[in-house]
Amino acid sequence: MNIWNIAVKEIKSSLREKRTFMFMLALPIILMLILGTALSNVFDETRTVDDMRLLYKSNWTNAQVSTGWNAFIEAIGKNGVEVVEAESGIDGHEEVRANRYTGYAVVGDEGIEFYGSSENAIGSNILAGMLTVFADRYSLASAAFQVDPETAAATLSATGQNNEFIRETTLNSNKKPGSIDYYAMAMTTMIGLYAMFNASYLFSRERTNKTAIRLMAAPVSKGAIFTGKVIGCTVINLFFVLAVFLFSKFVFKADWGSHYGMVILVLLTEVLLAVSLGLGISFLFKGEGVRAINNIFTQVASFAGGAYFPIDQSDGFFSLLSNLSPLHWVNTGLLQMIYTDNPTGAWFAIAMNVSIAMAFIIFSVITMRRREGAFV
Amino acid sequence: MSHVLEIRQLTKKFGDFVAVDNMSLNVREGEIFGFLGANGAGKSTTINMIASLLRVTKGEITLLGKNIEKHSKFAKMNIGIVPQDIAIYEDMTAYENVRFFAGLYGLRGPLLRERTEEALEFVGLGDKATSFPKNFSGGMKRRLNIACAIAHRPKLIIMDEPTVGIDPHSRNYILNSVRKLNDMGCTIIYTSHYMEEVEEICTRIAIVDHGKVIAEGTKEQLKAIITDAKEIWIGVRADEPLNLEALKAIAGVNAVLQEENTIKIVSKTEINNLNQIIQQLIKDQVEIRSVEEQAPNLETVFLTLTGRNLRD
Repeated sequence: MNIWNIAVKEIKSSLREKRTFMFMLALPIILMLILGTALSNVFDETRTVDDMRLLYKSNWTNAQVSTGWNAFIEAIGKNGVEVVEAESGIDGHEEVRANRYTGYAVVGDEGIEFYGSSENAIGSNILAGMLTVFADRYSLASAAFQVDPETAAATLSATGQNNEFIRETTLNSNKKPGSIDYYAMAMTTMIGLYAMFNASYLFSRERTNKTAIRLMAAPVSKGAIFTGKVIGCTVINLFFVLAVFLFSKFVFKADWGSHYGMVILVLLTEVLLAVSLGLGISFLFKGEGVRAINNIFTQVASFAGGAYFPIDQSDGFFSLLSNLSPLHWVNTGLLQMIYTDNPTGAWFAIAMNVSIAMAFIIFSVITMRRREGAFV
Repeated sequence: MSHVLEIRQLTKKFGDFVAVDNMSLNVREGEIFGFLGANGAGKSTTINMIASLLRVTKGEITLLGKNIEKHSKFAKMNIGIVPQDIAIYEDMTAYENVRFFAGLYGLRGPLLRERTEEALEFVGLGDKATSFPKNFSGGMKRRLNIACAIAHRPKLIIMDEPTVGIDPHSRNYILNSVRKLNDMGCTIIYTSHYMEEVEEICTRIAIVDHGKVIAEGTKEQLKAIITDAKEIWIGVRADEPLNLEALKAIAGVNAVLQEENTIKIVSKTEINNLNQIIQQLIKDQVEIRSVEEQAPNLETVFLTLTGRNLRD
């Protein structure tokens, strides 16, 4: 019950803080509007997939796979994807790393292995989505073949004729991020990361207010205080993030795809990650150090994670920086899910967020338990 | 009279520094126990250990017969702490503040509401329940600070300098509240830098210095310790602190301190050293305005025993 009391108190205090509203609601919405409008030219609304190149290697022995695959590459070829079979001796992974191909697929009887370019994330996500649909369709045909070979043949031939897998994935013109779509997502995830600021003062604020002594003198365990504060901080920051999400969806008509549950789950874990990072920083640094680390981290992570402009292609140090930014994996996961219906990246983002959050929470709990007197 | 609080051979170390050194004392049920010590004497450290805010290095503290480390929850439920610094949330109303802290002690529903209102009425803030503390005067904040500590009706209330920096009206209100709480059956540990407050309300007093209790008893018992001492107050014109070392070297002088334009000297009764004191001040070119001898009071006792002013 005390956990609930403390969580509610945190939520109430945040809701009464005008600066928090400005920072967590007004700022992302204004930035969304400004960046979405000013950089609309950067987002080529008519961009097609003709700059995507797929390298593949065939390892199949089953003639049905061959038939289905040929129909598939013919269909995607008509839509601008250049498909090239790898000659022997060619290292497909190296070709992709060298940015000569958007992706490399090894097609066998058991399935498809796909290696996508990290430098062209959107292109490789589109290819991954297409291949996923092909693989699903082929699995369906194989299952049907056991029962009714005619149905199986029809399923496979439909793959090539109707191009349904393409419509379902990315080539639908409505499923490309426009500038508002992009910045709606980028600003929402950026503001999720800003939960760090609130979290890093969760305990030091009690010390500043001198209320830490009262909390510690009450018959409430440190664990209950910690849990209540983390829950309260996560809930209130998720509220701000969801408010920005809903505002962008209904006012700016931003495209958030159709997997809302998954989008919210990614955002929730991102907020949890930000809260745990903020807590960790508050236990590692003191005073102005906390503010400085927060500012540097959020700005670098926002910049490298694609908050201000899309990060499709990068190399060297910036690529490393980008990959280390929580916003990179969150944004990539969301883009993949919204524009290719492929949840792989979103699950990866959730796993990363939860794992890192747990590590920082455990660190904070251990540090807090060891300290005597006031919390930090 | 039974003991509410018993401290036996209590020691607290921070690294090599001994903040509390083998301290022992008892607080009896129903008393207002004055806990006096200059800054750094070990007073706050002791209070923090009683309130379970700091771990005990050695020794034992028992509250109502139970070891507070083994029965931490029981101890916390029965202690109310009024910290020296005002410990309230500025962004919550007076009512919400008291309700939140009382709620941490397990009070719920109508009982929580009743106790919250009762505590606010007790400190005279019943009509300010929905106001935010940022609009309160210093005295009102101090009273709210007390309300937050008493709503759960603790057996022992620790008041750490509850009247610092407030107007005389609020101070009187708080002192009366302390007496009322005591009449209602609460045992109170009271610390203050205002000796006259301690003298006025405390039934028993302990003087702490360098982490040890150096004297303990009623006001009368403490004053009896220093029957051989007198206090001389010399009014001077002093725009800045004076060099008092020469005065301390005069035979019979136990302690010397300067409080703005008054030099307070504690000296042995049997030695007549007033002439030497005045000659020294003249030699130091200090302008003397008045000289008076005071009857020994608690301050004299404190000065004699510690050599320091309570406000040091």
